[in-house]
Amino acid sequence: MRNADLTDAAERVVLPALGGFAALLLLVFFYFPVAEVFARAFDEGASFAAVLTDEFYVGFLAHPGEALARFLAFCSAFVRNPLVAEFPDYRLGLFGFTAYQAFLSALASVALGVPMAYVLARFEFPGRETARSLTALPFVMPSIMVAVGFIAAFGNQGFLNGVLTALGLPKVELLYTLKLIILAHAFYNAPLVARITAAAWESIDTRTVETARTLGARPRRAFRDVVLPQLLPSVLTGALLTFVFCFLSFAIVLSLGGLEFRTVEVWVYQAVNDLDYGEAATLAAIETAFSLLLMYAYLRYEARQRAASAVHPPERIPLFGSVTPSRLAAWAVCAVCALVFVLPMFSMVYESLTTPVVGGDAVTLRHYAFLVERQATAYSFQVKPLTAIRNSLLFGAGCLAVAVPIGIVLAVVSTREFRGRKVVDTLAMAPFAVSGIVVGLGLLWGLVFGTEITVPFVGTVRVTVSGALAVVAAHAVGAYPFVTRNVAPMLATLDRSLVESARALGASRARALFDIELPLVASGVLAGAAFAFAISVGEFDSTVILASGTNSYTMPVAIERFTGRRLGPATAMGCVLLAVTGASFVAIDRLGGHFDG
Amino acid sequence: MAEVELDSVVREYGATTALDGVALDISEGEFFTLVGPSGCGKTTTLRTIAGLEEPTSGSVRIGGASMDGVPPEERDVGVVFQNYALFPHMSVGENVAYGLRFSDPPEGKSKNERVTELLELVDLAGFADREPDELSGGQQQRVALARALAPGPRILLLDEPMSALDARLRQQLRRQVKSIQKELGVTTIYVTHDQEEALAVSDKVAVMHDGRVEQVGTPQDVYREPETEFVASFIGENNRFDGEVVGREGEVALVDAAGTTFRVVAPDATGDVTFYVRPAALDTEAGENRLTLGVGTSEFLGEGARTYGTWEGGEIVVRTGAVPAGEEIEVGFDPADAVVV
Repeated sequence: MRNADLTDAAERVVLPALGGFAALLLLVFFYFPVAEVFARAFDEGASFAAVLTDEFYVGFLAHPGEALARFLAFCSAFVRNPLVAEFPDYRLGLFGFTAYQAFLSALASVALGVPMAYVLARFEFPGRETARSLTALPFVMPSIMVAVGFIAAFGNQGFLNGVLTALGLPKVELLYTLKLIILAHAFYNAPLVARITAAAWESIDTRTVETARTLGARPRRAFRDVVLPQLLPSVLTGALLTFVFCFLSFAIVLSLGGLEFRTVEVWVYQAVNDLDYGEAATLAAIETAFSLLLMYAYLRYEARQRAASAVHPPERIPLFGSVTPSRLAAWAVCAVCALVFVLPMFSMVYESLTTPVVGGDAVTLRHYAFLVERQATAYSFQVKPLTAIRNSLLFGAGCLAVAVPIGIVLAVVSTREFRGRKVVDTLAMAPFAVSGIVVGLGLLWGLVFGTEITVPFVGTVRVTVSGALAVVAAHAVGAYPFVTRNVAPMLATLDRSLVESARALGASRARALFDIELPLVASGVLAGAAFAFAISVGEFDSTVILASGTNSYTMPVAIERFTGRRLGPATAMGCVLLAVTGASFVAIDRLGGHFDG
Repeated sequence: MAEVELDSVVREYGATTALDGVALDISEGEFFTLVGPSGCGKTTTLRTIAGLEEPTSGSVRIGGASMDGVPPEERDVGVVFQNYALFPHMSVGENVAYGLRFSDPPEGKSKNERVTELLELVDLAGFADREPDELSGGQQQRVALARALAPGPRILLLDEPMSALDARLRQQLRRQVKSIQKELGVTTIYVTHDQEEALAVSDKVAVMHDGRVEQVGTPQDVYREPETEFVASFIGENNRFDGEVVGREGEVALVDAAGTTFRVVAPDATGDVTFYVRPAALDTEAGENRLTLGVGTSEFLGEGARTYGTWEGGEIVVRTGAVPAGEEIEVGFDPADAVVV
């Protein structure tokens, strides 16, 4: 029995120690950098009051009294003569526009995602499971690559305009419009809405609909009374998440917004580039506070949703067959999806393999050849393509090494019952609500520039971290929640009696973890690892901040640098990135990964 | 006239036949039970009556009117499902009131009065503002019953409504269901796989097997006079004897089974014959036909024991006092206690 005492003692020490180490890494690489941004905002930033009363930032809210007066004037004019009353022209300002475009993006994502959920949840067709897993693809799609895809598809020289010109139709000018930004955001978030809504739709017990029918409700009425109210919470959940993500949108707006449209993220980035750190810090702090608040609201709301499991899922309708109104609707949804989701990626591949010649496009490999040539001829300030690929793979490996252990340890900790677990869970998921720009800035200021720590008896020590290590840290911070999200549910549903049997047979708690639990969640660990890798390879926001002026640039950074007048090199680099991301996605899918944020 | 009538109803799903010519006559006010093992088609029959399934061929009539193409909402039925299917986004009261959105409450009552009345009927007075997920399984089941009854349906359809509950609660609830049914006089069709439950509550029982109705009758009929081998073995415990008629003394046939000759009341039997004897009819003290059993196991039941023994013809189950394993006992039965099918 001495042995058992020893292992129990070891276990009492080991698990908390591992947990403590994971917490320390998060503290150094996430909480400290974010705190650094807030600290700078208070120390040297533009004053919050100045920002919050500047019309440039907050629009009409800078002068609430005046805004209200104009609204009241409008109301009284409206009462006198509704036909001539003009709604006041309110300026939104930077924050207002950021929220406005996020709101429109959420609306568009719902408008596209709910019909997608309808097709996924209610129809049967070959490849339905594949289509379903594809809704997770945006999670691992590098944003800058999607932006290039959208330029290739909808740009003035893009694929769509090429087709229109060939047909003798006028060109459409979508690039640098708010419409295209919102469409790109829908590309990202409609699948998320679809995924959440479809899951809810499938978990609705058909017996409830049948009961409504037997009680006298016609099919439409039963849908309205029974199905819709059960879907609504999921639609709202998806919309809220979409709003948060689009509020923090960076690469899409940076590439597709042109000179006219800027979100807070883009403005922060430009302020950093202009070395205006004070303004950057203040804006980043306000933005982060707002998004954390939203995320908190989301978590509170989500926790209230009951997790139902379908006892009698509804029977699916075959997608192909005689023409019925519901089939027609489903086919229309499929057509729109092809336009929004397939066209950009297809256009990117197409543009990377063709070059315009008189009377059409000729197939060419010269854009790929350019990537190799540029490696030899690049000036020191230019991005070397092969170096970018090598860096991406190295950082991806480094990210795996950090994010997977942290993710597993947090998954184990979060499935244990102890006081304050909820707090740990929430803190561990906070990176979802903090933008890459903010994490990148924090790491840059806090660790790359170095921090002075006073150590007793030694004096003041300056701690600095290399740019490459900071990039790995930033990637790991973004990636580990996916490992946790993949491993924790599997651990939680693991039959407790398995571990209890192992313990009864003489295994220590730690031994049971290695012998029983980890092998059974291995596929979750691997799926989480594939996620971590894909996220690292595609990460742009924090990398572009940390890599500027160094040699730590990655494929997404290279794509951004190559995006210019000619689309060829950027799309070629995008295709390389697409290949790596696609391979990761296949691995995740094969391993049955969990994607839901 | 039959209240519910099924005429050679067939239901096919692709290559499988769920219902293979089901015919039923159910009278007004009757408590009618469909019983059978899982997959026998009893639930499909109930769903076909409710209009939730369309028969491939055959017809359903309610109150003499053909139900061809009549959607569920126009059939005047109330359904309680196995998992209750309470609307999770509505309170208990809203659930019960749901059917009253489409039809006025019976007897000129207001909706609120009707909901209160129904909740009282199922002993859930004061539960109207609760949420379904706050209730126990038994309470949810009673809410589902109140909801189904609120519009005053012509027919109440119950699809294994008790099977998710524990044994004691099930007994208590089925008595409650039965007394509510009698009080309201509503024609009730009840689906269960539990033959004991079927015998306990029903006016009439239809035993189903492989998509067909094997026998319809009162609980006493199907228990005492099974018409098919399936009914004999499915309803209650039974002992099967396979033999051959080797002689006859008036109504009594002499049946040779596994080397023993039994005297069995069977006026028409000739050739190969199968008869059944209930465990309770096997008596250690009396009975004209005697056989010796080697005792295998004996289960203590409180009142006596259930003893499994073997003889040349196979295994026999008997009600006895406690018997140690390995002993031999002798049991007997009267010719009239053997049921030939």
